[in-house]
Amino acid sequence: MTHELLAPAGDLERLKVAIHYGADAVYIGGPAFGLRANANNFTIDEIKEGVRFAHERNKKVYVTVNIVLHQQELQELQNYLCELEKTGIDAIIVSDPAIIEMAQKYTNLEIHLSTQQSTLNVPAVKFFKKQGVTRVVLGREATKEEIRAILDEVDIEIETFIHGAMCSSYSGRCVLSNFLTARDSNRGGCSQICRWDFDLYDDQNHFLEGEKPFTFCTKDLSLLKYLPDMIDMGITSFKIEGRMRSIYYIATVVSTYRKAIDNYLQNPKTYHYDQTLERVLRRVANRDSIPQFFNQKNDEECQYYNGRVELSNQDFLGVVLDVKDGIVTLEQRNYFKVGDEVEIFGPNHETYHFKVPSLTDMEGNSLEIVRHPRQIVQFACPYAIEKLDMMRKRIV
Amino acid sequence: MIIVKKLVIPTTKDLKKLESYCDGFILGITDLCINCSLTFTMDEVKEIIQHYPNKEFFISVNKNMHQQDLPHLKEVLLQAEQLPVKGIFYYDISVVEYKQELSLTKDLVWNQEHLATNYSTCNYWYQFGAKYSCLSSEITLEEIKTIQKHAKGILMVPVFGYIPMFTSKRHVVKNYLKYFNLSSSSPIHYIKKEGFTYPIMDVQDGTTVYSSSILNAIEELDILKQIGIEYVILNAFLIPEDIFVEVLKIYEELTEENKKQLYHRIQQLLPNCDKGFLYKETIYKVK
Repeated sequence: MTHELLAPAGDLERLKVAIHYGADAVYIGGPAFGLRANANNFTIDEIKEGVRFAHERNKKVYVTVNIVLHQQELQELQNYLCELEKTGIDAIIVSDPAIIEMAQKYTNLEIHLSTQQSTLNVPAVKFFKKQGVTRVVLGREATKEEIRAILDEVDIEIETFIHGAMCSSYSGRCVLSNFLTARDSNRGGCSQICRWDFDLYDDQNHFLEGEKPFTFCTKDLSLLKYLPDMIDMGITSFKIEGRMRSIYYIATVVSTYRKAIDNYLQNPKTYHYDQTLERVLRRVANRDSIPQFFNQKNDEECQYYNGRVELSNQDFLGVVLDVKDGIVTLEQRNYFKVGDEVEIFGPNHETYHFKVPSLTDMEGNSLEIVRHPRQIVQFACPYAIEKLDMMRKRIV
Repeated sequence: MIIVKKLVIPTTKDLKKLESYCDGFILGITDLCINCSLTFTMDEVKEIIQHYPNKEFFISVNKNMHQQDLPHLKEVLLQAEQLPVKGIFYYDISVVEYKQELSLTKDLVWNQEHLATNYSTCNYWYQFGAKYSCLSSEITLEEIKTIQKHAKGILMVPVFGYIPMFTSKRHVVKNYLKYFNLSSSSPIHYIKKEGFTYPIMDVQDGTTVYSSSILNAIEELDILKQIGIEYVILNAFLIPEDIFVEVLKIYEELTEENKKQLYHRIQQLLPNCDKGFLYKETIYKVK
């Protein structure tokens, strides 16, 4: 049995990074009908390019078509599905069953059921299997026991989230955006009202004031610790959330889970949970993360009360553009200087730690500080690093 | 007199006060229904139905079902077979599967709240036994007209009451109170933002947040009737009982000529009434 690591990709660059760093498949939004209407998303040509890149490496591409349809969208959907089929994608991720029916009528696209249906039990999964869905993305509220029951009783691919931000509500059961900002959350307009602060009052109009304001906001999900359990249970696909995240975030999270999965599969008996990997994941996140519902935890420790403060991560220092004769060419992403403790990580080698050596620009001029966005610099490095490796502040 | 069947989601077990002003009731089933402040066991449903032979009864099992809910759900669906229940409101697709597996004869009411926004999906569920679809409150009157024109089944439209905006398994209020060591014995709380107040209920199955205003589509009732809508739903949730009865009486008085006046009479009783999304389109792409 294979265990797929499924990564988000907001654009072609992130798709390539995700695959380069170890994703077995990526999910992307097309030009329409996805739940990230305000993200960049892919054009049809970009989808073709992404599929070509992925398939050349035996990886897969899934496209989200997971909005809740209104009448006006129905007219355009049929053509869109046919266009998608021509790109060679491996599946569409669908929430509205009307799209299942239309895709089956007009295309041979494989269909995955989106988490937006909040599928949490055996009979619901059985139903969708009978309708020709080949994979169900379970609701994020599913516990370990529920996932196990489904896997035991229904022979179908099961996909679960392992990492990233969580809806505070049952997916599909929140229209806060519709009411508070006139943006339709189930058609990709979610304005993340669940992260806003509110004032909480009792029924006598007494203000219930904590040290931080009331919010629905939850901590992020991280199931790194539970990966062996999840692999043993037979979950098909482990999904990382975050189509709007940076290449650094994607590279870090994907490579971390890749290592954990591979380490466990290589030798389950000797596998030990690697705290270093957890530290890397914590560092790249801008919010706390916990296992959430998987271990049935649903208490006050799952909430995130931080007044909307989300730390901007400055760890990412640059991406390696080229390596030739021991000279690294790097594109800067955050300020660094000669002598800083840094590390370079990549999908094909251990993480290397070193102090930033002497630097030059592309004309050979000496530099002490790299402060300009996307500035290109060069330095000598004794390690066998590769193109698309990333340099960050020392974490490990 | 304009006639369209009015279904009431009651907040009292004494339906006598309401029966004269409606055609039927939707009874939420204990432990399987959310967004009802009052729920009923199947024994209570059986008892109530006997007392009101001229009313139509639907039951509601509209929560997201977890594995542990399934034995009770199955039992309720089987018991419903023995009762003169017209239909079963559902959110979770386990209900559709059980209808097939157990060869149940009761009609279903597709009630996935915010997801019932087009006729194709109504028709999809129709082929699996959802004779009725309860439409989303976040669509426009024009969209309702289009759906009605093409839907194979019978449509239900919510016309009065607070609208659920957010449903979570999390105990969002309890968690906040506990985290910051605050105490409150209120059965209901309110959250406020930018001058608006939203009711929030944290109960056994999790938390639901409701709209700040009360939907009141009495003026649109004749249009709904003209286009062929057979059922409208009035939800008593969070409305004081005497005022809700008054609202029902006002709905009974409706004629073509007095609808504006009646809307304003209700508004005098409940100043935070509005027409929801009936004339307000939402956007989803801001660029």
